[in-house]
Amino acid sequence: MCLAVPARIVTIDEIHAWVETMGVRQRVNIQLIDSPKPGDYILVHAGFAIEKIDPEHFRFLNDTLYEMFEGTENE
Amino acid sequence: MNDNRIVERLNRCFEYVQSQDIRIMEVCGTHTRVISKSGIRYLIPKEVMLLSGPGCPVCVTPETYIDMALEILNLEDVILVTFGDMIKVKGTCFSLSDKQAQGSKVTVVYSPEDALTIAAKNKDKLIIFLAVGFETTAPLIAVTVKLSNERGLDNLVFLTALKRMEPAIRFILQDERSKVNAMICPGHVASIKGADHFRFITEEFGIPAVVCGFESQDIAAGICVMLEQLTGKGHIEFVNLYKRCVSFSGNTIAQCMINEVFAIADGAWRGIGIIRNSALVLNDKYEHLDAVKRFGIKIERYSSPVNCLCSEILLGLKLPYQCSLFGSVCTPEHPSGPCMVSSEGACAAHFRYGGDRKNG
Ligand code: SF4
Repeated sequence: MCLAVPARIVTIDEIHAWVETMGVRQRVNIQLIDSPKPGDYILVHAGFAIEKIDPEHFRFLNDTLYEMFEGTENE
Repeated sequence: MNDNRIVERLNRCFEYVQSQDIRIMEVCGTHTRVISKSGIRYLIPKEVMLLSGPGCPVCVTPETYIDMALEILNLEDVILVTFGDMIKVKGTCFSLSDKQAQGSKVTVVYSPEDALTIAAKNKDKLIIFLAVGFETTAPLIAVTVKLSNERGLDNLVFLTALKRMEPAIRFILQDERSKVNAMICPGHVASIKGADHFRFITEEFGIPAVVCGFESQDIAAGICVMLEQLTGKGHIEFVNLYKRCVSFSGNTIAQCMINEVFAIADGAWRGIGIIRNSALVLNDKYEHLDAVKRFGIKIERYSSPVNCLCSEILLGLKLPYQCSLFGSVCTPEHPSGPCMVSSEGACAAHFRYGGDRKNG
């Protein structure tokens, strides 16, 4: 249940931001991270940004996420 | 696993492990799933056992908590709001989905913030949010509680079963029967609390502990480091292998949120019992938003279901296949015990992805 997915901040709207994960946009709360900016990479858990991450790690996580989804198609 | 260097290093470690029994426990449900799914169990020698601790918040939520939620659903004009994971978990007799089938209003949300929207749109109804989770989820709930208070949403209350990881780990390691030799620390709890929060495992109990990420390579690397330490190829120390997401001091904003909204209390863990100081409950400032206080619900004494070995499994003393109900009476479709309910539960992960008999 503590699963968190990587995302990139696109726009900020007060305490929320529109973020993108694997091409999908969602609105998340950004009150738990320090000075969020568009372009920042974050970890999202249950609709909240919980930590900033570095861009390289974002790419790694994003690739693994793709792999994970490909692998679960027939489950 | 696609990183050959890790596999090579892991293979080298296996040579060091001679007939020495090694038990490595993970205490995060996501780790449990990744370990089972990636097939790491099939790679490691039979002397090394990977045990699943109480790492799934759904699996450790006691029956009495579900019973309380079901009791609240008997009231008129209530909407129960919950994370999807909770819906199939049985209380003493029934689950929320049983109750939903009888017409009760249960709404599944992805974010706790959705409860605010539901409360604002349904002023004539009472909204109860089931606040379940570890310290990864607790700050999100804290923000939601604060926003609800600021917006004056007095029709939203919280039924909390939030847990702290550190007292549970201590409880397991202090158990005289415990044979855990090394611990994989929960990565996302650590991203909130900081890696240092788990340093006590090595400092007080003298065993290797590693903060790991959630890819199979991360876990393999963690196992590698711990095996090297346990076989004398490295000295016993606490290691953070998940620096990309976990700093040593964690997310201080999230920690402040937890401290601002919650107080520490004793908590009931399904399959284990009461663990001192292991729960987060709403503090005095926010207790008017606590469902238990609002409804004056009596909390029943906790008791485990008959024949279910979950308590021993969560403490790392038994493996799922050693339960006589595993796979016959107890399956993910018809779970008898909590470890079979969520896909992150030890029994469900073993049922779904298998495991050989030596390793469950
Ligand atoms: S198989 Fe079912 S009954 Fe047995 S320990 Fe696991 S959850 Fe409990």
